Amino acid sequence: MLKLKNYSVENVLENIDIEFDTGKTYVIMGPNGVGKSTLIHSIMGRPDLEVSGDLTFMGSDISELPVDQRARLGMYVAFQAPTSIPGLSNFQMIKQALNLKGSELAEHLAKFRDTTEKFNLPKDWDKRNVNTDASGGEKKKNELIQLSLLNKKLAMLDEPDSGLDVDGVKSLVSFLNEWRTQHNTLIVVTHYDRLIYDLNPDAVIVLKKDGVDIGDTDLARRIFSNGFDNV
Amino acid sequence: MYKNLYSYPFLETAYQGKPYYKLEELYDYVTSEGYEKHVINHLDRNLYTSLNEHVRDNLIFLRETGLPSHKQEQFNFSNLNKLFNRDILNTNELAVSYLDRIEKFDYLVDPDVLNEIILCDSNVLASETLSKRRPYNLQILDISKINKNRHLEYVKLLDNTDNFSNLTYGLSRFPNVIVFPNGSKERFYKNPIKIKYANSSDEPILECNTTIIDVQYDTSVKIKESIQTRAGQMNYTTYIVRENSTLEIERNSNDFGGWSLFDSRFICHPGSTVKIKFKNTGSSYTQENFYFKISSDVNVELIGRNNIFKGNEYHQFVRVRSVDHDNRSIVDIKNVGDEHARTSFVGKYEINSTSIGFDGQMDNRNLMLSPTANMHTRPILDIYTKEIACTHGCTISNVDKDQLYYLQSKGFDKHSAKSLLIDSFLC
Repeated sequence: MLKLKNYSVENVLENIDIEFDTGKTYVIMGPNGVGKSTLIHSIMGRPDLEVSGDLTFMGSDISELPVDQRARLGMYVAFQAPTSIPGLSNFQMIKQALNLKGSELAEHLAKFRDTTEKFNLPKDWDKRNVNTDASGGEKKKNELIQLSLLNKKLAMLDEPDSGLDVDGVKSLVSFLNEWRTQHNTLIVVTHYDRLIYDLNPDAVIVLKKDGVDIGDTDLARRIFSNGFDNV
Repeated sequence: MYKNLYSYPFLETAYQGKPYYKLEELYDYVTSEGYEKHVINHLDRNLYTSLNEHVRDNLIFLRETGLPSHKQEQFNFSNLNKLFNRDILNTNELAVSYLDRIEKFDYLVDPDVLNEIILCDSNVLASETLSKRRPYNLQILDISKINKNRHLEYVKLLDNTDNFSNLTYGLSRFPNVIVFPNGSKERFYKNPIKIKYANSSDEPILECNTTIIDVQYDTSVKIKESIQTRAGQMNYTTYIVRENSTLEIERNSNDFGGWSLFDSRFICHPGSTVKIKFKNTGSSYTQENFYFKISSDVNVELIGRNNIFKGNEYHQFVRVRSVDHDNRSIVDIKNVGDEHARTSFVGKYEINSTSIGFDGQMDNRNLMLSPTANMHTRPILDIYTKEIACTHGCTISNVDKDQLYYLQSKGFDKHSAKSLLIDSFLC
């Protein structure tokens, strides 16, 4: 689904080669500051990042596409620190993004409220402003609600567990297990062992400045026991 | 207005028959000795004597102070030269009577509209419902018809100022007074009064309204104001909000091709509440000033959302003068400036030494979307007591790049994301 070859992000990452297949789940790990968030935002097309190398999504070169076109192809990034937008309500954003009208609007609102309830968010969440006056955990849950409604093929989640309480992590795992199918791809950046074990990913990718190590859940276990330097 | 009040031949002679006049020329004319003689000789002294003494005093005062200058803080960033050079009189139109104009511009009068008052060149056109309903009927008065005590109070309120109010007052044929009677808590709140400030023509003329809106004791009133300036318009409205009364105003000013100056003065008595929400698109020149004088235990909220684009201008001065204890004030103004827009905000809290317990918050946020836009903001806190809480925040910024990226990453193209952010900003 997504392929990076000789992929570099100026001053952060060099010569990364990774292939993400459809229907699989990947966990990205790495020491602080190595560029995990930068990697997924560069894939999404954040304009201030200078990248080089090959980047293909579903067989097409997307390296020159702007962010919104990548999003419309089915790519999604859940932010580590979601940006607040005062004045724009959570559901209004979904409504505008999908240009919802009539029965579709009612269907999506019902689904929105249903997901909100599953995440134990306040009942008026649809009317609350995007990531405004919300806790860190609530913002993370909001990113997942958007993912559930925006029909995406590739989800890149940047530390979705940070800020979540114990029940929140359970809801997260349950949500992701429901979301991932053989038709989509999930990439999760995390440092949290419980999440990795619960997701049981197809591959664990350890990001380094000049490349990657790829393994399975055992690689994650060894990192948790010995640290990044000793693996 | 002055085309009725002042001698056209006099003006013609003074300016050698030029087809258009400028505000500065008009000012020279109305503050000249010749004009003063004309006022004394030509007006019906029986009807207007007392009033015109004040008009004359005002114009004499104006002659001494001059038109406002950039040195005055409320006009610091405004574009007064542009205003002074506006064409304000088309001589060919002088023969057309006021009523002819009204017929020509039938948008002004809609018989099906209830609860509406149209203020047009010092004339008042009110829906029948407003004058027939009792016991809570409105009193719409011109100042010469009211009793002596009230007259003196109102005239005192229209005292000399150092801004355009003098000129507006001097050029209004007479001030109108709208009185909301005592104790009406629902009648004018559930069914808001609509007040439309309109021009009778879209020719380059100047029309003026001086109005007093008196909200009597224990009364709640909601007013929806619409400013429709097809030509030049100067409005000077004084709102008196008496003890334990509430006044809520929603004001919309849209660009109809004219220009306007609107001075709003609020005299807030103890225990009163004033809430104003206004929206503006600016015009070739718009200046909107709010002057609040608040006594004790008064709550004032001023919320403005202004979207200024093309080459439109919007200049604003807000002054909240707190003279007694336990007052609260929120001033929250947001401006968007695009293309060649020109905006300014000067906000001032004047808190005197007896104004203990004042709680004020002044915010002016500006979103500058184009490098060719010109936006200014200046908060001023002038405080003479320590026992208060007062905050201010004034910013001018571009669209937040993080917000733009966030929305684009959710699938919005750049244009839609930007317009969504503007709408959210102005929300």
